[in-house]
Amino acid sequence: MYVVRPVELADIAALEALAAVTMPGVHTLPKTREKIADMIERSIASFAAHVDIPSEESYLLVLESPQDKTIVGTAAIFAAAGSNGTYFSFRNDVIQQVSRDLNISHSVHALTLCSELTGYSQLSSFYVGEQEHGTPEAALLSRARLMFAVLAPHRFADRFFVPLAGVTDADGGSPFWDALGRKFFKMDFLDAERVIGGARNRTLIVELMPHYPVYVPLLPGDAQAAMGQIHPSGELAFNLLTAEGFEADDYIDIFDGGPILQAHKNSLRTFNGALQRRVTTAAESPDRGREPQLRYAVASGSEHNFRAVITHCAALESQVNVALPADVQEALQIAEGDTVICVRI
Amino acid sequence: MLVVRAITANDLDALYVMATQVGSGMTTLKPDMKMMGDRLAIAVASFAETIPPEKRDYMFVMEDTSNGRIAGVCAIKGAVGLTEPFYNYRIGTLVHSSRELDVFTRMDTLYLSNDLTGSTELCSLFLAPDYRTGNNGKLLSKSRFLFIAQFPHLFTEKLIAEMRGYQEESGRSPFYEGLGRHFFKMDFDHVDDLTAVGKKSFIAELMPRQPLYVDYLPEDAQKVIGKVHTSTAPARRLLEQEGLYFEGYVDIFDAGPVLQARVSELRAMRESTLAEIGLTTDWDSACAPESAPAEPMLVSNTTLKDFRMILSQSVPVNGAIALPEAEQQLLHCHTGDTVRTLSLNLRKNPHV
Repeated sequence: MYVVRPVELADIAALEALAAVTMPGVHTLPKTREKIADMIERSIASFAAHVDIPSEESYLLVLESPQDKTIVGTAAIFAAAGSNGTYFSFRNDVIQQVSRDLNISHSVHALTLCSELTGYSQLSSFYVGEQEHGTPEAALLSRARLMFAVLAPHRFADRFFVPLAGVTDADGGSPFWDALGRKFFKMDFLDAERVIGGARNRTLIVELMPHYPVYVPLLPGDAQAAMGQIHPSGELAFNLLTAEGFEADDYIDIFDGGPILQAHKNSLRTFNGALQRRVTTAAESPDRGREPQLRYAVASGSEHNFRAVITHCAALESQVNVALPADVQEALQIAEGDTVICVRI
Repeated sequence: MLVVRAITANDLDALYVMATQVGSGMTTLKPDMKMMGDRLAIAVASFAETIPPEKRDYMFVMEDTSNGRIAGVCAIKGAVGLTEPFYNYRIGTLVHSSRELDVFTRMDTLYLSNDLTGSTELCSLFLAPDYRTGNNGKLLSKSRFLFIAQFPHLFTEKLIAEMRGYQEESGRSPFYEGLGRHFFKMDFDHVDDLTAVGKKSFIAELMPRQPLYVDYLPEDAQKVIGKVHTSTAPARRLLEQEGLYFEGYVDIFDAGPVLQARVSELRAMRESTLAEIGLTTDWDSACAPESAPAEPMLVSNTTLKDFRMILSQSVPVNGAIALPEAEQQLLHCHTGDTVRTLSLNLRKNPHV
């Protein structure tokens, strides 16, 4: 059974192997062992911390495969995106151009450097191995982050966003970058991403990026076309997140123009649909003929020992308890009588 | 003989005929009988001093006295932008620099501005094609400086001239296509017509209000910022000789340069002199600084109401000038009257 759990120190080697696979320009995991270790330590400290106001915590979850317990996926959530700085993005403004004298009315898009996402919680570093691509487990991994937020709402903001990698060509160039960021940074896209370490909260961004709105019609066609377009590797995440209730179009990334999905927690399915249930033990061989079995993501109800798995059971809406087989209880490290939260997948 | 003179109410028809030959890109000279009639009325009132100086619009025509034809026109507007906003782009600089990355980027920007509000404007210069020979263009353009030198109290401190911007042979304006079209969604000529008829509020409504980075414009649009229309290049040179210079302001539609100067800095203010019409004695000539015999002089009378100016070969010597009888008639002057004179061309050796 696949289990989503917080990352542990023992996972360093496994994450390093994953980081080697992920693509350049797609900022999912840090590339060096040192930085991976940092990230893991921060996550462990974050889970252990007592939080009043969300700030610098960053939580990293991993997907552990049933065979030999290897790690096949990662997903992170940051309590506040701008921790130690300001999270910069381009807001996609629509300027209405109206002249009554001339009987003209049309709209012009403009990109404005903004820091509105600074206080949001940020989902990031989503990656699953090829075998798990498109499986319910991938959805479990993506959603587990939000289930954790349901369990511990005080650790997160009321709004969430997810930046997704934008389109790049075969050489790692970005048409959006070439039309915009390059003029200010005077370097290639990958070089810029490297010097900035994929961050969007550095002071040098405000030093270099345009202070005034960039009028979209003035950008070359290929750059306009790249706005809000996702890198093929981000398609899975995009589909999972839009199904979850995230919305695109309001913000894009300042470097590659990739979409930034965002939502208030009340419009997310995990928040709407999470059911808190008491655990009972399911019969060894359930009578599958009697009731239709539905797929649920189940997470242990404790914020200090968070784990999530997928299980099948009858519809939970009208029940007080959830019957979980012994192996599921074991995977979640819970026992009969504990509470769990369940979300339909 | 050619005389540049204050326009009169009788010149309306001739002015209209002239305007039909102008073509696009000159917003102040459109063949529209109503508009021209209104403007002419203001011009006549300006010379008569019946309206306040900032509302005045001094129009001059160049008349060929041999056939009575109007061969050219030019004007000085007392002040621009006081009844409806006067827009320009100011070319500014923004530096983006990061010490951490060792990046230093200097970006040209265009700021929508009304900085030139209240300036006196030289405008509406047009010379009929068959008169574009010899010194005619100079006479017409420079007549205005002599007028300003004679009546400097009528003008504000700053003088500007908008130059027609670069257009391709097809009439396409690369700057407009690269910028304005995205916001106006109409052809350049149409926009041009609208500004001419005074419907300028749409500029504020439709133009981007925020500064623009020049680097975002297509290359052909970037290249023509501050460049004049090929046919306007000689006119630009004439104005530069008289002390106007490009200071980074351009037209918001075609990016043609705005030349500017302080009235006190004009060559005409420094070098023009008054002289009395009369005989110059040999003794006077002998003591006078030597000047090249064929150096033509701009000579004007000193009456505002009936301002007239000609090009003469006579040279003032010690406050006197021997103008031939025919030239005196063109200027509506007599012996003993005072005239203002200015050499047509820059003196080669001003200190001799």
